[in-house]
Amino acid sequence: MTTASDTEPAPPLVLTPYLFLLPAMLVTLAVVLWPVAETVWMSLHNFILFKPRNVPFIGLGNFWRLLHDEVFWLSLGHSLVWISLVVGLQFLLGLATALLLNQSFWWRSLARSLVIIPWALPSVIIGLTWTWMYDYNVGVLNDVFLRFGLIDKPVAWLAQPNSAFFSIVVALIWQGFPFFAVTILAGLQTISAELYEAADIDGATRFQRLRFITLPAIADVIATALLLRTIWVANSLDVILVMTGGGPGYSTYTLPLYAFLKAYSGMEFGYGSALAIMLTLLLLLVVFIYVRRAARELDQ
Amino acid sequence: MKRRQFIQAAGATALSTPLIMAPMVNSAKAQAATVRWWYHFDNPQNTPNDLIAQFEKDNPGIKIQAESIPWGGGGDYYTRLFAAIVAKNAPDCAMVKLSSQAQLLEMDALEPLDGHIKNWAGKADISDNIWNVNKAQDGKQYYLPLQYVVLYLYYRADWLQAAGLQPPKTFEEFLAAAKAMTKGDVSGFGMRGGGGGHDNWAPFIIGNGATFAKGGMVNEQALAGNRFYVSLARDHKVTPASAASDGFRQIVDGFKAERTGMIIHHIGSANELVTALGDKVSAVPVPRPANGKGWTMFGDESNAVLSGSKNKDAAFKWISFLSSGGNNVAFNKLTGQLPVTTSGASSWTLHPKRFVDASAASLPLAGVLPDSPKTADFARTVWPTSMQRALLGQITSDEMMKTIEAHYNG
Repeated sequence: MTTASDTEPAPPLVLTPYLFLLPAMLVTLAVVLWPVAETVWMSLHNFILFKPRNVPFIGLGNFWRLLHDEVFWLSLGHSLVWISLVVGLQFLLGLATALLLNQSFWWRSLARSLVIIPWALPSVIIGLTWTWMYDYNVGVLNDVFLRFGLIDKPVAWLAQPNSAFFSIVVALIWQGFPFFAVTILAGLQTISAELYEAADIDGATRFQRLRFITLPAIADVIATALLLRTIWVANSLDVILVMTGGGPGYSTYTLPLYAFLKAYSGMEFGYGSALAIMLTLLLLLVVFIYVRRAARELDQ
Repeated sequence: MKRRQFIQAAGATALSTPLIMAPMVNSAKAQAATVRWWYHFDNPQNTPNDLIAQFEKDNPGIKIQAESIPWGGGGDYYTRLFAAIVAKNAPDCAMVKLSSQAQLLEMDALEPLDGHIKNWAGKADISDNIWNVNKAQDGKQYYLPLQYVVLYLYYRADWLQAAGLQPPKTFEEFLAAAKAMTKGDVSGFGMRGGGGGHDNWAPFIIGNGATFAKGGMVNEQALAGNRFYVSLARDHKVTPASAASDGFRQIVDGFKAERTGMIIHHIGSANELVTALGDKVSAVPVPRPANGKGWTMFGDESNAVLSGSKNKDAAFKWISFLSSGGNNVAFNKLTGQLPVTTSGASSWTLHPKRFVDASAASLPLAGVLPDSPKTADFARTVWPTSMQRALLGQITSDEMMKTIEAHYNG
């Protein structure tokens, strides 16, 4: 007995799709895979930038060192709190803003444009702006709070461990909430008005409309935005670097900032690379979920 | 001419042109050297274009390609320089500081300049003190001095006078002055606990007898000096509450806003402070221990020729041009620092005389941080982190000094 596969000739190898993909693959190889491979190579060596003649291979030595490095664990803890607070609060503020901007009012177009401004500003400008707003001597926040009697003497916002951390969190929430607002607003505009009309006829309250129509309809948008923003916030260090440089002490150290300082201040590119790879491994979980969701959406 | 003949002629011309031009181009290349020079100015609106134009006019065979590199507290500049050296794309010459000389030597990146300097006419116009400070540990001269500053103490002359006090000379007088000026929302001393603050701290620690040799940061004088400095914030409360995070901009702006009575910085801030405060601000050398010599930071800046340069002679011509007489004066007018030439210093008018005098009076105390590869990380990370932790009470003053000792000698 013969089967179809025994008799049919093998399909010819079609190269055309691969040729079309080749430029993108080459670019990806050059700007993503090669630097990643080099980072892995550096993480396995005691690579100090100003000692290029002496780069001994130390295997997993850098990873062993970071497991015993209290600043690594401190930075990791800060990163987890940082991501949860920043992403969570950006989302809530972004959702509220999107719901407001989805209402009808005469200056809605202007409001939608204005809300983008924090997102459009460079991070360094945002860091500097907030640094001076928080400034102890000449900052506008202290001035306003004193005038309104909210404080009785100026507060050194960036010089105390707790206030420094949360001051930066506030700056980051301000910077990032427009991303959620705009993304969720786009999702809201895809919801059919008929659903709300039906809900009105059924006597649904505002909260029930939000709970049973709005949120389920934009759940996919929210999930994608949360995953993307988690990756970005976890990797971001620019605003912290500008506002406190990690200080006072280690109060505002996060994992990417620690990796950056080890590499670019201590010139320990080997150890800095190991820290960066550890962060990558932790983020791979989030990336994995994101890629699975993206693939599922493509299949649909 | 027929079409076929025209095409043949044009083709022959096109093919032969590179052959004819090649010797001419090569000859021009042999004559014109392009010198890549990295520099950084605090005020990016200032450019060295006039100096370059003058140099290129005097030296027709040399082109200067000046590249302004972001300073970023030193970290940005040196990371770029080190990366360029490793990538074999370093400039021919660059502005450099002594704190990075050991790292650059470790990388074999510096060209010894002794031979060039010996035959350079401008050598005698730079004082022996400045030559000696810039000499490397191996006795060779890799740096050609360009500008300098010395850290001293700015103080509010009117407030001290009102308190019936003289400008402080000793640690005790400094504390008394700081206490006298601390009133309400005014603090006596604008302490710099953020980046770069090690040079405000060093006069109280090295000046009191600390050294960077083994055990030198944990000897009794070193520990006592640091206890005194930390106590200014923690016990005596003569510093702003923001001291732990204040950097250069914050201490200068706090002083200008009349929120502090004394700060430590160099002549680079003098004109800005005088514009804001006029005659109310003056300067003296940093305080010293009652029975000691004291110490302050010599803020150096030199040019170096990089060893990978293919235009070393041309590069030296350019950097020696910048360190010569009137050119050095013109250069320092762009940077706001002080000329290294004796002739330039004698005719210096950019800053009010009292600040030039305070700089000169501080020179006998002036020194530099150790010529060690560890110094850069000490200044950028180890010191600010441990200082801030000590100011916040997360570690003791003595534990801070043990951290610094371990960094250098652990």
